Amino acid sequence: MNHKLEIRNLTKTFSTEEGEMGALEDINIEVTPAEFLCIIGPSGCGKTTLLRMVAGLDHPSSGEIILDGKEVKGPSPDRGMVFQEFSLFPWRTVLKNVEFGLEIKGVGGKARGEIAEKYIELVGLQGFENHYPYELSGGMKQRVAIARALATEPAILLMDEPFGSVDAQTRNVLQEELLEIWKRTKKTILFVTHSVDEAVYLADRVAVMSARPGCLVKCLAVNIPRPRKRTSLEANEFREKLLMLLSLERSKACISV
Amino acid sequence: MKLPTKEKWLWLVPLIAVLLLWEFTAGYVIKNPLMLPRFSAVIFSIYALRNVLIADTLISLLHFGIGLALAFAAALPLAIGMGWSRNIFKAIDPIIEILRPIPPLAWIPIAMIWFHLTHYAAGFIIFIGAFFPILIDSYTGFRDVPKVLVETGKVLGCISDKKQIKYIAFPYALPSIATGTRVGMGVGWMCVVAAEMFGVSDSGLGYRLFQKFYFLHQMDYVVAYMLVLGLVALCLDRLFRHFVEDKLFKWKKGIVK
Ligand SMILES: Nc1ncnc2c1ncn2[C@@H]1O[C@H](COP(=O)(O)OP(=O)(O)O)[C@@H](O)[C@H]1O
Ligand SMILES: [Mg+2]
Repeated sequence: MNHKLEIRNLTKTFSTEEGEMGALEDINIEVTPAEFLCIIGPSGCGKTTLLRMVAGLDHPSSGEIILDGKEVKGPSPDRGMVFQEFSLFPWRTVLKNVEFGLEIKGVGGKARGEIAEKYIELVGLQGFENHYPYELSGGMKQRVAIARALATEPAILLMDEPFGSVDAQTRNVLQEELLEIWKRTKKTILFVTHSVDEAVYLADRVAVMSARPGCLVKCLAVNIPRPRKRTSLEANEFREKLLMLLSLERSKACISV
Repeated sequence: MKLPTKEKWLWLVPLIAVLLLWEFTAGYVIKNPLMLPRFSAVIFSIYALRNVLIADTLISLLHFGIGLALAFAAALPLAIGMGWSRNIFKAIDPIIEILRPIPPLAWIPIAMIWFHLTHYAAGFIIFIGAFFPILIDSYTGFRDVPKVLVETGKVLGCISDKKQIKYIAFPYALPSIATGTRVGMGVGWMCVVAAEMFGVSDSGLGYRLFQKFYFLHQMDYVVAYMLVLGLVALCLDRLFRHFVEDKLFKWKKGIVK
């Protein structure tokens, strides 16, 4: 078995006051171990919904999600999630936030502190262990959220536009750091974004989604050697290709892959 | 720097001015201790009454303690249920809304019949007074837990409601619980005095003030007890703020102050 994650015929409809609303239609994705997969699509196309289902926070209307050969039924610490909104527990310090998952798991005090410390260092926040979230900048908060999601050593890391609400400068730095973390931890990463630049800079492969109801248009491998340069010719070409696909999708209904 | 220490004591100036005005008006304008006893006479009364005053204060604090502890113990579990579960809220809220507007003092006859002249009779009135503020503020806290924090918890392993309440909802709601308790303490203290005054007790500050001193028209004693009632409430509030709010809610700084 060489797939870390398989999403098969995944469909999601929400029942709303106006009736049934299709959010996702027949999504099929396979993710290999240690792959960095970006999911891109116009806003409202169901990216968050897709990620939430992989996390186990929402249930598919039909289809299945298989992680390491086992079907996903509900939330579990073997899928780490970084939300788009700031999600740190405001009453816990940085250290206590990172320790949270371990505490729930029942990892004892000393070991817990050591593991948490390791991940705090990984995201470059040593020295801030005893700070409360209100004392941190937006970028630092998301770093803590990443460390917290990694601390329980999940099989896969799910990230939903994690850098959407930080400024462009910080965003670039965070992207570089994330790649470094990915290289060091060899995690499989599912990264949702609506930014073409972000996808081209980060991804091994980009899955492009169409507008409502969201379906997968195309998966493109980003064959640009790392470290990548944001302004290189290849990057620009790839960006063009993605933008084309996306604008095509905006004007057209769902087509099959 | 001299200024800060000077400013620190600035509040004393108007206070002393008011006390002097009181002393002067009572002694040289009204000249009738029944209408308005002099401040110095009141202070002397406090000294003269010191033994019975301490005993009465302790009795009133006992009533207060019984009522507040019971109110807290009853309101908190209910608040968790109502704040956490929409259905429990819907089931219980109508009952709460019917009982809440009944003034605590209207319960005095019931208290007398149920508990006779015991400390529990006065405690019951305080219970009624403190229960609703504690309940309302607390369940608001539990109800308003941000969804993203609960879901973060789920993804990190808080699957059962019990764990979600313990690790996420409770710490989040703690400041609201504290606010409710503080308001409840204020209302509770007013109920102490009223309950004792109306004869739900044969001792305590309110009982002595009304049933003894007032009936004998010992107005300097009455005012002495009034002052003590205010000072005790002030101390209770300050102690609560010092030991509970300031210590527990460092993390709230960024949000409140
Ligand atoms: N709980 C829900 N109930 C009803 N509709 C929802 C719910 N969650 C999301 N949707 C709808 O599903 C669509 C996809 O939403 P979302 O996954 O958040 O999109 P994206 O993250 O790509 O912007 C949107 O039209 C949204 O309004
Ligand atoms: Mg989204």
